[in-house]
Amino acid sequence: MTLVAEPKLEKAEAASLRTERIVELVQRQGALAVLAIVLVVGLVAYDDFRSFDNAGTILVSAAPAALIALGMTFVIITGGIDLSVGSLYVLGGVLAAWASQYGIAAAFAVPLAVCGLFGLVQGLVIAYARLAPFIVTLAGLLGARGLMLALSDEGGTTYLVDPGAFKDFGKGELLGVKYAVYLVAVLFVVGMVTLYRTRFGQSVYAIGGSEDAARLMGVRIRGTQIRVYVLSGLLAGLAGSINAARLGSGVTVLGTGMELDAIAAVVVGGTLLTGGAGTLGGTIAGVLLLQVIQNLINQDGGVSSAWQTVISGTFIALVVVAQTYLAKLRRVASG
Amino acid sequence: MIDLRGRWRPALAVLSASALLLTGCAKSEDDPAAKSTADSSAAAQATKSASAGGSTCDLTKFGGQKVDLKTATIGFSQSEKEANPFRIAETQSIKDEAAKLGIPAANLKVTNADSKFDKQITDVSTLIDQGVQLLVIAPLNSDGWDSVFQKASSKKIPIVTIDRKINAKHCTDYLTFIGSDFAEQGKRAADKMAKALNNTGTVAILLGAPGNNVTTLRTQGFKEQIAKVAPNIKIEFEQTGQFSREEGQKVSEQLLQSKPNINGIYAENDEMALGAITALKGASKKAGDVKIVTIDGTKGAVQGIVDGWISSVIESNPRFGPLAFGTATKFFSGEAIPENIIISDREYDSTNAAADLGLAY
Repeated sequence: MTLVAEPKLEKAEAASLRTERIVELVQRQGALAVLAIVLVVGLVAYDDFRSFDNAGTILVSAAPAALIALGMTFVIITGGIDLSVGSLYVLGGVLAAWASQYGIAAAFAVPLAVCGLFGLVQGLVIAYARLAPFIVTLAGLLGARGLMLALSDEGGTTYLVDPGAFKDFGKGELLGVKYAVYLVAVLFVVGMVTLYRTRFGQSVYAIGGSEDAARLMGVRIRGTQIRVYVLSGLLAGLAGSINAARLGSGVTVLGTGMELDAIAAVVVGGTLLTGGAGTLGGTIAGVLLLQVIQNLINQDGGVSSAWQTVISGTFIALVVVAQTYLAKLRRVASG
Repeated sequence: MIDLRGRWRPALAVLSASALLLTGCAKSEDDPAAKSTADSSAAAQATKSASAGGSTCDLTKFGGQKVDLKTATIGFSQSEKEANPFRIAETQSIKDEAAKLGIPAANLKVTNADSKFDKQITDVSTLIDQGVQLLVIAPLNSDGWDSVFQKASSKKIPIVTIDRKINAKHCTDYLTFIGSDFAEQGKRAADKMAKALNNTGTVAILLGAPGNNVTTLRTQGFKEQIAKVAPNIKIEFEQTGQFSREEGQKVSEQLLQSKPNINGIYAENDEMALGAITALKGASKKAGDVKIVTIDGTKGAVQGIVDGWISSVIESNPRFGPLAFGTATKFFSGEAIPENIIISDREYDSTNAAADLGLAY
């Protein structure tokens, strides 16, 4: 390296680095950008969209999905997948409604314990038997739904939430916003600190980046894998709990396809399905984007049911295609 | 062996997962031939009993405001995709009646929950936020409406539930339920089956989706009535066909292998009956070899009577529009509304199927 060439090289490098950073930012915040556009369109086009009530509806409706997507983000960053969350969600709701007769603590603890246990077993099998997370959690999906049907007499019995603290939690509001929304917000902050600032969080990224490299760096791969599936199970159970409190009963016709919605929200939020990269901020944007699109379709009120799914699907496809394109640009920019 | 541990593995996993789930949940199916004719007035619903529950509800008791439907905003929340004749006819009937009453299309907000209960709760919440003054709901589930009631009752919005009931406090949480007597449908199906089999033989039941009160009541009504009127008819097979044609066909194929001499099939909806006919054809049975009784009254099934494959169809009338809006109009003009409005369903058999084909949906 000569002294003359150095500044030039630095300049070019700096420029490409800057492009790279901008592209990376847009890629990572693609969902946020689209969310902003969609929000502006909604605010301009629909009077009712602007209301405070409607914002509250969007947030409280997104709360369970957000919790599930929170856990799913951890799982996907490790390069895994958790298909059991939709079933654990409905199972958690049924358990919470049943346990509410023993008080609010039980209504939260029982679903957490059972769904956490499901996550633990799945994590153990994935980590030690080295089976594909897809197949292990698919078994979990079937198992948890089966258990839910067994508990509810094939869906024939619906447990009602006992009047008391748990039901009040579901009804309660602070400044016009339901308690559940605050709970989810706090958990996302805790999740961010855990993911970005702890050794565990760094292991999650390391495993997803390259399992072999992570092993060489001394990351406890099995321990990390087990923990992400436990976390995902716990959050799915908690999502079931807060939903049961809101609905006032352990509804059994829930959660089908919920795992795919969660995966879609996470991926739309910029987390790579291949693992190693992703943010929780993106996941929040992804969850809200899907919810807002649905809300806008309802604001219109004239879109036939068949076209609704087409519209949602198109949005997901657009965001993901844009992200892939930007990722390519980034690779080109970084040479 | 292909190594799937690369970058495509998760993508592949998700793809196959969605494929699996999609095939797993394909409960309803399209039948382009069965287009609705919801607005033929002869096919409209008639009230059978209007005071089954005893208690009534009027505007003062409910504490609401007088509303003129012609200028009001009305919300309709449909539970399932309009992909089977029943739902197509139901939604169309609501829209047609609103148009007939001169309600501008923009004032009728229609949502569809796509069989997702979470979505239906969100849908109805959004409708309330939009300021609807009347809610017509076809509920996906009978329980789990607490948050909706909390919101609706604080704004005193009357809720009319159609086709399925909601378990709640009458006149506080909701105004009225308009729908069929599902147990009665099962009983009438049993009477038809007993007649078709001359009170003796073996029968299979194609059950609807489990955990659904429609399934429970149609099964209960049928069994009780069979035991009462034709104890010599034995029910030898019961399995769910999930209210879908594919499942109905699959289950019927298994049935015909395990019990080839079955005399009758009771299908708890038309779609499953049509699936059963396909299975019977596959097993080289002829029309009339196995007596089929079914519930719904779709065009396909009534045509099945004309063709000789189906013995009778008990109707479950989905045209809720006129009765729903009529009831709301009465309520807003101060009349007392009963807790349950049970509609009378017609029936089709070989004597009237050809003539009444136009009444089917």
